[in-house]
Amino acid sequence: MEMLQYTLRKLITGIPLVLGVTLISFVLMVYFGPDKTYDLLGKNPTPEEIAQVRHQLGYDQPFVVRYLDYLRELVTLDFGYSDSSGERVGSILKRTIPVSLAVILPGFILGNLLGVVLALVAAYHRGGWIDKLIMAGSVVGMSVSFLIVIIAFQVIFSSSYGLNWFPVLGWDVYSFWDYLRYVTVPTLASVFVALGYNTRFYRAVIVEEMGRDHVRTARAYGASPAELLFKSILKNSLIPIITRIMFSIPLVVVSGSLLIESYFGIPGVGKVAFDAITTGDQPILKAVVGLTAVLFVVVLIINDILYKVVDPRVSLK
Amino acid sequence: MIPITVFQALRKALVLAVLPLSLLGCGAGVDVEKALEGHLNGPPKIYRHSLAGAPASLDPLNSATMYANTIMTNVYDTLYRYKYLARPYEITPNLATGMPEVSEDGLTYVFRIKPGVYFIDDPAFPDGKGRELTAADFVYSIQRHFDPNNRSQGSWLWAGRIIGLDDWGKQGADYNAEVEGLKALDRYTIQIKLKKPYPQLIHTFAQGFSAIVPREAVARYGREFAVHPVGSGPFRMLRYEPGTYALMVRNVKFRQEPIDLQAEGFDPKLHDGFGLEAIQGKAPPLVDVLKIDFIKQSAAQWASFTKGNEIQFTGVPVEQVEEVLASKQRPLKLKPEYAEKYRMSHAIEAGFVHTDFNMRDPAIGYNDDPEREKRNKQLRCAIRAAFDWEDRNQRFYSGIGVIFPGIIPPVVPEFDPNLSRESVTRDLDKARALMRAGGWTAENLPTLVYGGVASVTTRQMFEQFRGWMKAIGFPEEKVVFDSYATFGDFNKAVKQAKIMIVGMGWGLDYPDAQNTLQLFYGPYGSPGSNNSNYNNPEYNRLYEQAAVMQPSPERTRIYRKMNEIMIDDCVSNTGLSRDRIMMWHKNVISYADRQIVGGFHLRFVDVLQKEEN
Amino acid sequence: MSQANTGCAVEVAAEEPRARESLWSKALYKFMHDRMGMWSLAVVALYGIIALGVWAGLWGQGWSANDGPMWAPPSSEYWLGTNIIGQDIFQRAIFSTKTAFEVGLVVAVLSTILGGLLGALSGFFSNRWADELILWLMGVLDSIPFYLFVAAIAFALSGFPYAMHVAMVLTFWTATARLVRGEVIKLKNFEFVEAARAIGVPQFTIIFRHILPNTFHILLVQATIVFVGAIKSEVILSFLGLGVKNGVSWGLMIAESTQEVQAGHFSNFITASAFLFVLVMAFNMFSDALQDALDPKKVQ
Repeated sequence: MEMLQYTLRKLITGIPLVLGVTLISFVLMVYFGPDKTYDLLGKNPTPEEIAQVRHQLGYDQPFVVRYLDYLRELVTLDFGYSDSSGERVGSILKRTIPVSLAVILPGFILGNLLGVVLALVAAYHRGGWIDKLIMAGSVVGMSVSFLIVIIAFQVIFSSSYGLNWFPVLGWDVYSFWDYLRYVTVPTLASVFVALGYNTRFYRAVIVEEMGRDHVRTARAYGASPAELLFKSILKNSLIPIITRIMFSIPLVVVSGSLLIESYFGIPGVGKVAFDAITTGDQPILKAVVGLTAVLFVVVLIINDILYKVVDPRVSLK
Repeated sequence: MIPITVFQALRKALVLAVLPLSLLGCGAGVDVEKALEGHLNGPPKIYRHSLAGAPASLDPLNSATMYANTIMTNVYDTLYRYKYLARPYEITPNLATGMPEVSEDGLTYVFRIKPGVYFIDDPAFPDGKGRELTAADFVYSIQRHFDPNNRSQGSWLWAGRIIGLDDWGKQGADYNAEVEGLKALDRYTIQIKLKKPYPQLIHTFAQGFSAIVPREAVARYGREFAVHPVGSGPFRMLRYEPGTYALMVRNVKFRQEPIDLQAEGFDPKLHDGFGLEAIQGKAPPLVDVLKIDFIKQSAAQWASFTKGNEIQFTGVPVEQVEEVLASKQRPLKLKPEYAEKYRMSHAIEAGFVHTDFNMRDPAIGYNDDPEREKRNKQLRCAIRAAFDWEDRNQRFYSGIGVIFPGIIPPVVPEFDPNLSRESVTRDLDKARALMRAGGWTAENLPTLVYGGVASVTTRQMFEQFRGWMKAIGFPEEKVVFDSYATFGDFNKAVKQAKIMIVGMGWGLDYPDAQNTLQLFYGPYGSPGSNNSNYNNPEYNRLYEQAAVMQPSPERTRIYRKMNEIMIDDCVSNTGLSRDRIMMWHKNVISYADRQIVGGFHLRFVDVLQKEEN
Repeated sequence: MSQANTGCAVEVAAEEPRARESLWSKALYKFMHDRMGMWSLAVVALYGIIALGVWAGLWGQGWSANDGPMWAPPSSEYWLGTNIIGQDIFQRAIFSTKTAFEVGLVVAVLSTILGGLLGALSGFFSNRWADELILWLMGVLDSIPFYLFVAAIAFALSGFPYAMHVAMVLTFWTATARLVRGEVIKLKNFEFVEAARAIGVPQFTIIFRHILPNTFHILLVQATIVFVGAIKSEVILSFLGLGVKNGVSWGLMIAESTQEVQAGHFSNFITASAFLFVLVMAFNMFSDALQDALDPKKVQ
């Protein structure tokens, strides 16, 4: 019961956040956003035709009406039709989000998993040369621009100048084998870039955990390294690790895949969202930004609740 | 609610990833087999085409780009098309039975269409069976452009020309009401009545804009009709991923019309070595599957092409031209290592690039002060004299583009090869003399604002332009780049006449210089297509005079006169027609075209199966 | 204010700078003995000198001249070759150093100031409306995907040359603010603050004289992190056409190179990548060394 109340209260506090995000993104992306009028007009348009298109796009409506429309769309989850292709926004998202997830998930999972493993190895050998090597490697990884990694990997793995092992671009996935062919290079690139950050972060978490009294005590009492690792260290490091992963989710779905998708020509939601910005396709923009904000708030709430479950000391206030 | 969506999406992604679908050719697989069930003997013939951009919408109303047109002409029927091989381009009947019967005064046209042409099967029709296409469908398809509830980008082709059509739209677009100038006389006959002669009318019916759509499909799919084409063209859409690819299969109901190479303009000398003889007598479309990938990055397009098992056609990106050509001397030839694997053709584009001055900007164009206006003209002429077309050609068009003076490009019959090349020849002494004559100094020069979309190439072109301007005394900070993040915003600024110097490309809608001359016709100033806002009464008068004339030496003379007037006023740095190189894999029998014939060539493309090779 | 109180306040204030001084002098000592830290500082300083030189007009001035041949290989005239329109790639890379510092410094300084101020306010008034408001603002800004947000600002401020800077400052300040807020909440309960409050020192004086100075080590480290973040983001934004408007940057060079690498012209790509990598790497290591030196509790 107490839990339910807590959840409800959190949900209510999420409302201003959603309102804030929608308002800011509405002002920036819709109200001051790119103007699509002239994209939709033919040659030598008359002033009436211009006015007509502006009316069809809703540009002539007052701010408040347009914003309220947006909120209504968000609540009903009906964002209408794309201003460019005329396709239903819902079906665009249904088509592209799975692709984005399929592209980004392997890299995301591998990046975090490898990060934890490397961090454990480094922490175990703290101060030794292995630790130093891993840490130096992660600084190098952190210092290479994502863009450079993508370009370099594409040249190395997919072009006739390099190994020429994988398709350069596209997403013709009909079988698991296709999937592997298309997802490998993007995955390698995103693991390469994320690994440095992840390793450093997890190492810091684990090292801090290792310094805690109960771990020291356990060690003094002769607990085996495996026991120490799983019972004491990993279990307690779980909260920051989960938090980090959870908070990445909303962004991974949208912006994380933007560069990869546009460079590898993958029809995911990141590319669609970016194209929508550059062409001023407002219905799509509204949907993507609104849903991301809602997702973020949901994650925030779930995260708070998880904390509460894992650590009862967190006050329910 | 949201987590469930994510969960579903996740599950779908997993299904997508794991479901073992049988592989077939390019992976189109099961769907293709199912779509062509009973019409395949052996493995399907697959041709993978590529385009450097994507259509925004597949509704013929929005067939505004070459990319959209390419798809439209393959899934829909048009009354006319262009001959596959004839150059200069020649129009020929497609759905029409022949050329129209035109009245003496050039005002009444009668078109007859072929009977027994059916739309593809689609749930939009009763019982899902495609019905016969009739003259009424054509009338409906043109009327749609004038319906104020639609967003037509093609209505300008017919606006103000067909009796009663504009008013029909203004009076509420009642599709049951008759339009005087646009009637179906019977099931297979169309009559069009014009307000004044319009010699280009027949060309407008070879455009994607005039593609014939069934009313039932528009009613059923509404706005989503734009991603769900239902036509009677040689192909039918199987799967369409906007912005990524279009996968089409042969329309098994498409009328059987054996290819007559002679009638298509085949010339054994010109078309030797393309293997075209093999398609003589076959009925289009020749491949079972047509997949068109939309790839914006030229590097990616090239890499995909050279891999061997991906796209089979590409335009050769500028940065690869040196690599593939044995020499840049005409006739262009591939290096042996490329000639071994690929076929190549190249064509001077039906269009040109030019850099206009905005004449509405008092700092460089028309000015209330006649003295300043005169000095502005000297400044414009000085800039033009400093504009280095040769350098631009070398750096950005591989040095194979064709530079020509004025706005009548080499591809149209009215082109004058003997026109003075002075306006496209760099002459710094002349430029500096003009600057002095106009009293222009580093201090009193206006700041030149060069507008463009924030792309790498535009920025480089600007930097090149700045270099030329520095050579005639412009300080670096007086030549600035005004970048727009989207084409839409850039276009809007152009249409509102806010940009001082604007680089533009124009692709001809039809092979008639009228289409480029209208770019400088005063009344078409912003927001029309006259981006320079040039407004010269003499030029306007000649334009109006020529617009109603059938092609003739007299009309050509007027066209050329207009060209000279416009050159003398220094309103534009113009121009260059790009020579575009196209390549395709050797097992493909094709004579590709990316402009006037465009999408129409795809029905003639054949692919040699392994054993035939 | 009565005399007695002033005296007392002086005493309170006199107590805390000593602790601060020792933190900084210890940090300086520690940093000086960190070999990697000193090396990375030297590299950063070298880049700084290059940037200053460009700014003062000493070198890199030929970045826009386009009179060279197309895609020339490295030579004594063009040390790293030329690009498509005949510009000297080495000069462009040098000039871009200035661009990078400009972006890095503007964004780092502004977002640190903004983050420091709002973080301190939020921490000091924790659980009051001001805090709630600032937290809400941070939550909102953090929930919008970075590239979409930046792109949107770039469009909204269309034509404004510093749109990219504004967007980065607006996104980067929240991380600093959260850290400062946490630190301030901790500091607030320290004796010297409570003492100051007890004798009626005005709230703003407490915040600016007593609390903020004690968060400087956080601000410094955060500034270096933001600096690196800004330089790296610039590259991607310029690639997307949303970045630097005037001049040249490593991002623009890499954007140019994306077409060239497939044709076998690697000079633009390698040069810009190398310049960028070395600076970011050095800055990352410098930032690490700074953190080590300034955080006495940090576990190694």
